[in-house]
Amino acid sequence: MRGVAIILILALLAAFCGGCWSRREITEIAIVLGMGLDLTPDGRVGLSLQIARPGAFYGGGDTAGGEGRVACWVVRGEGETLEEAAAYLAGKVPRELYWGHSVVLIFGEEMARRGVGAVADFFGRKREPRETMWVTVAEGRASDVLECHSVLEKTSAQAAAFLVTMGLGTAVRFREFVESLADEGVEPIATRVTVREVGVTPCPGEAGAVGPHRQAETSGTAVFRGDKLVGWLDQAETRGLLWLKGRAVGQVLTVRVPGKPEGWLSFRARRQRAEIVPRLEGGSVRFDVNLVAEFDMVEQGGIGDFAGPDQIRGSERLLAGAMEAEAGAVVERVRSAYGSDIFGFGDAFHRKYKREWHEMKGRWDEEFARAEVRINARAFVRETGLLTIRAETGRE
Amino acid sequence: MGRRLGRRTKGQEDDAVARGFADGPLSRDLDANLRELKAIFDRCSDVVFREFVFAQCNGTRLALVYTDGLADKAQVSDQIMRALALEVPVAAGGRRIGKGRALEFIKKRGLCMHQIAETDRLQEVVRAVLSGDTVLLVDGHATAIVNVARSPETRRVADSEVEPTVRGPREAFVETLRVNTSLIRRKIKSPSLKIETLRLGRVTGTEVAVVYIEGIANDKLVPEVKDRLGRIQVDGILETGYIEELIEDNPWTFFPTVNITEKPDRVAAMLLEGRAAVIVDGSPFVMTMPNLLVEYVHSTEDYYERFLFVSAVRVVRFLSLVASLTLPAAYIAAVSFHHELLPTTLLLSIAAQREAVPYPVLVEVLIMEVLFEILREAGLRLPRPLGQAISIVGALVIGEAAIRAGLVAASTVIVVAVTGIGSFVLGYRLSIAFRLLRFILTLLSAALGLFGLVAGMAVVIIHLCTLRSFGVPYLSPIVPTTVVDLKDVVFRAPWWAMFTRPRLIARRDRTRQAPDLEPGPPGARSRGRR
Amino acid sequence: MAERGRISPTQATLLMVSTVLPTAILFVPPVVVRRARQDAWMSLALAVIVGLLVARLVIGLSLRFPRKTLFQYSEEILGRAGGKAVGLLYIWWFLHTGALVITDFAALPCIALMPETPFIVFFILGIAVSGYAVRGGLEVLSRYNELVTPVSLGSIALIFALLTKEMRIERLLPVFDTGAISILKGSATPAGWLGEIVLLSMVAPYLSNEAEVARVAYVSVLAVGACVTAATVGTLLVFGPDLTGAWVFPVFSAVRSVVIANFLERLESVAVSVWVFLGLAKIGVFYYAAVLGSAQWLGLKDYRCLVAPTGVILLGMALLCPSTAELFEFAQGAFPVYALTVFEVGIPLLLSCVARIRGKGATGGA
Repeated sequence: MRGVAIILILALLAAFCGGCWSRREITEIAIVLGMGLDLTPDGRVGLSLQIARPGAFYGGGDTAGGEGRVACWVVRGEGETLEEAAAYLAGKVPRELYWGHSVVLIFGEEMARRGVGAVADFFGRKREPRETMWVTVAEGRASDVLECHSVLEKTSAQAAAFLVTMGLGTAVRFREFVESLADEGVEPIATRVTVREVGVTPCPGEAGAVGPHRQAETSGTAVFRGDKLVGWLDQAETRGLLWLKGRAVGQVLTVRVPGKPEGWLSFRARRQRAEIVPRLEGGSVRFDVNLVAEFDMVEQGGIGDFAGPDQIRGSERLLAGAMEAEAGAVVERVRSAYGSDIFGFGDAFHRKYKREWHEMKGRWDEEFARAEVRINARAFVRETGLLTIRAETGRE
Repeated sequence: MGRRLGRRTKGQEDDAVARGFADGPLSRDLDANLRELKAIFDRCSDVVFREFVFAQCNGTRLALVYTDGLADKAQVSDQIMRALALEVPVAAGGRRIGKGRALEFIKKRGLCMHQIAETDRLQEVVRAVLSGDTVLLVDGHATAIVNVARSPETRRVADSEVEPTVRGPREAFVETLRVNTSLIRRKIKSPSLKIETLRLGRVTGTEVAVVYIEGIANDKLVPEVKDRLGRIQVDGILETGYIEELIEDNPWTFFPTVNITEKPDRVAAMLLEGRAAVIVDGSPFVMTMPNLLVEYVHSTEDYYERFLFVSAVRVVRFLSLVASLTLPAAYIAAVSFHHELLPTTLLLSIAAQREAVPYPVLVEVLIMEVLFEILREAGLRLPRPLGQAISIVGALVIGEAAIRAGLVAASTVIVVAVTGIGSFVLGYRLSIAFRLLRFILTLLSAALGLFGLVAGMAVVIIHLCTLRSFGVPYLSPIVPTTVVDLKDVVFRAPWWAMFTRPRLIARRDRTRQAPDLEPGPPGARSRGRR
Repeated sequence: MAERGRISPTQATLLMVSTVLPTAILFVPPVVVRRARQDAWMSLALAVIVGLLVARLVIGLSLRFPRKTLFQYSEEILGRAGGKAVGLLYIWWFLHTGALVITDFAALPCIALMPETPFIVFFILGIAVSGYAVRGGLEVLSRYNELVTPVSLGSIALIFALLTKEMRIERLLPVFDTGAISILKGSATPAGWLGEIVLLSMVAPYLSNEAEVARVAYVSVLAVGACVTAATVGTLLVFGPDLTGAWVFPVFSAVRSVVIANFLERLESVAVSVWVFLGLAKIGVFYYAAVLGSAQWLGLKDYRCLVAPTGVILLGMALLCPSTAELFEFAQGAFPVYALTVFEVGIPLLLSCVARIRGKGATGGA
């Protein structure tokens, strides 16, 4: 039928006459891998972008000049708003900025303390940045994190993203961060990232040169209240937080065995969940937090035979006690020091007492500070590894 | 025996004009007839006139007219001339036969031919001579005897080259109509297999046979096929392609709506599903109709191999169907519009490859596609051993050199090569259609990204929905969905579960086989147990 | 008769699903969630009931006047003048809704995939492609739809299934948080959308077996209801009520959130492409209804000559839309009310009452 031909021709004409609006050749874009936001001294927004240099990523070919070349480039721009800062960067970067493959969003500490609501709006509204990027807060400046190098990964942004993905700390996607920003019953958290000098490693910047090397690492959790950063949790406290969030799979817990001064046992959580049960008794709020975890024994010292049911029961009690202690400590610390409900107690209360919640919503901070929190943990040991007894050194 | 040759159709009314002589009855006078024929076959050096005397009756002169090279010379001299001029007296015991009874006698006792016919029309005589038959004219009779003694010289039935298979019959059709019908008849030994012949082409007078199985083929299909063939009034038909373009439902389409095959087993399978076949003398390809899109994704072998394996292979074929149509377009969309489609590492790697390439992706893809088409065409046209060399040189050397020269990116070469190979998986004629559409989709996608690609695909799908082949929707049984017939689209049901013929093709007698054929160990068989 | 094709009940059901679903799945969830928060599913259930009532009206009329479209029987019921007036109203409504659908159709690819490309490109391509299907007639349109709908819906469902990891059932709690008024308010928009089932009155006469019309109508309303509810609840489970209400296209954002094993991610381009196929079908249905209706209104033997002019009118009307924000406002606010009261319930109810009183039609008076 002639119809097809005519329609296809018309379509082609329509398409070509006006030009190809959204077309951006891959060689015309600057691929942003990581974004950092800092507050400039005069109170404006500083935007640092880590941009990939594709030449360094050439895979396989023998003509690759990948080694010895820096894989990325960090540019900085500033403006009243983020979009202004990005527009300013357009004058520095000879290509069009492309945000779609950015894996991390890093807030500088000062920026986070001033509030990140507007920033979240920018990234939620913009088409290219993804809901799945990781949100982190840098201790210090965000641009420092982007500027340091990773030995294993090509760029520090990718390294940071891998750390967050693979690591055992807090991992918060942008989507979850925004959800907790909007939700009244839970406050946001983010991964805390620190830049440290770590010994002496060959630095890819200067080929062959040896010098002190700066590297980004995750170091706990950033606690927000509203959209403002209020404080930090260190690695140990973060583990307590994860017990309460039911996300502690993979965490390693080590307990001392009573009665054996040299004896210790290490366990790795293989499954874990947490349940917050709110109770309203005579106007005062109480939370029963039930933690359940299953562990594998991964290491032990100074105990010898560890396979009997009694020992397993005993270690389960020890583990439960340790979990309760860690979780209890973090609840108390966050409540007293930061006054922030990052655990979602408010949401749990809302789900059960929806009418009362609507009354208490306004003064939830006080209620939360007053509320009694009882933590009740149960632990189960499932596997003990391939050994039944300790491989004694003298036995050989 | 005495069967009339040829069938009169509308197209033959003006044969006389085309051939430059007036039709008329034969004369009783042999000389008059010979004069007429010699006038007709003036300057046809291959037509032989051989006059001799009938042994049984001295007054009766006989004349043989045949075409040298078409007629079987051994049969003409042994079975006709020797018989009539020498041996009849032995057989007939020396009886004399009157001139008036000569024709009768020759017919009944004189000729040792397996098939004869008679005619009294000059036109029929001419046609018989040109078809390779030997015409015997008897003095004093206005009737000629047509001896079907065609030369057996024809190409040997050989392996199929266009549709090679691992398992299944290897033979392919040849250029001779009768050999081809015999190949089909050998597979379907049933009187219900009907082979109707007619002649098409005013000058060429090509014999065309319509083949179908009575009772299985749709009642409306065969008259429709014959009607469409009857409409054809062209001077010559040299290949099935002439007829195909003259009988399609929709001539304005990239897609073939009549299937072509050179394998007798495939034709037999089609006939058993209720389709009709058209064989054209002089072509080793047989047309089958109605034709559905899925036929191009299926192969004969699918029905001979184990059904689970076949079902898996067909999934691969459907994947390559989609890939061969859309892969370059999708690649362009991903690389120059929707970078988020690619994983970060791949995006960076492609970006790195493309840093040195001067052209936009579209130009690059077009360069490679055109190069690929040139190589393919060269490979087809050249003698076979050379053709292979060309493709190897083209694919390996030019591809590698183009990448090294920074003319194209390696990823583009991969995409174009995969697309090209993917299109070979499909039936050849569908891949031709896809080649053209692929270019259009590529352009659309280069202009509007995925949206252009999708819009183009939608047009292709809608177009496929409008197509019919001899009244049957081209996309059936996928849409309009016939649930029972989905047993043979992507998944192929095992033979013991192929109970029915395709619903839209064989409207009558759809039951194919007995139920309960599922095999099993002796105790578990359901059939025979009840 | 202007239309010679016949379609099977399955094709008709799928066609009706495509009449409602493609834009509903995008535009309904945010409005409902904004009004009824996590109780959106209750609003949707209410809307389905409204949809079933509209379907009941259409079925009644179609069975009473077999082999007649809305345009034909309204003349029979209300007389020539009245019928023509009703016909004119419906032609307007089909065109208006068609233009809205086209702008909706352009909105997603334009906003989400190619923001630099002007709207008119999407309009022209959308109208040209679906116009080609309409030109092929009802059979071609339904075949296209029959091929595309299961594949598209299947892939979208599959992508959603990849999100189960991210879903938290607590996000639906507490039940009945906002109160009955909010739930009722929330059901208005989806009810307007589900009421588009009234287009069945243009398709029903061409069913191969018209007695199946009831099954077609009910099954398609329930299927659409189920799909929209699944999409809304799915997004709620991923984002919670606050964020779901905040996104322009929550379902699209949900698809963007899929991350499986670091390679199954960024699927939104695929989802949008697949959705475009569905969108084209939806434009096609309204386009077809407008064209066929006009042909019957004018008493033409063949509607093909009207395809191009109608396309131009649709393009013109679509171009009148000032901005996407206003489009969303209208599509989610005023439009359902106006469509529901007049065209989806009002006129069909009037027609069936008058038919009953005047004793017109096959089962007249009984």
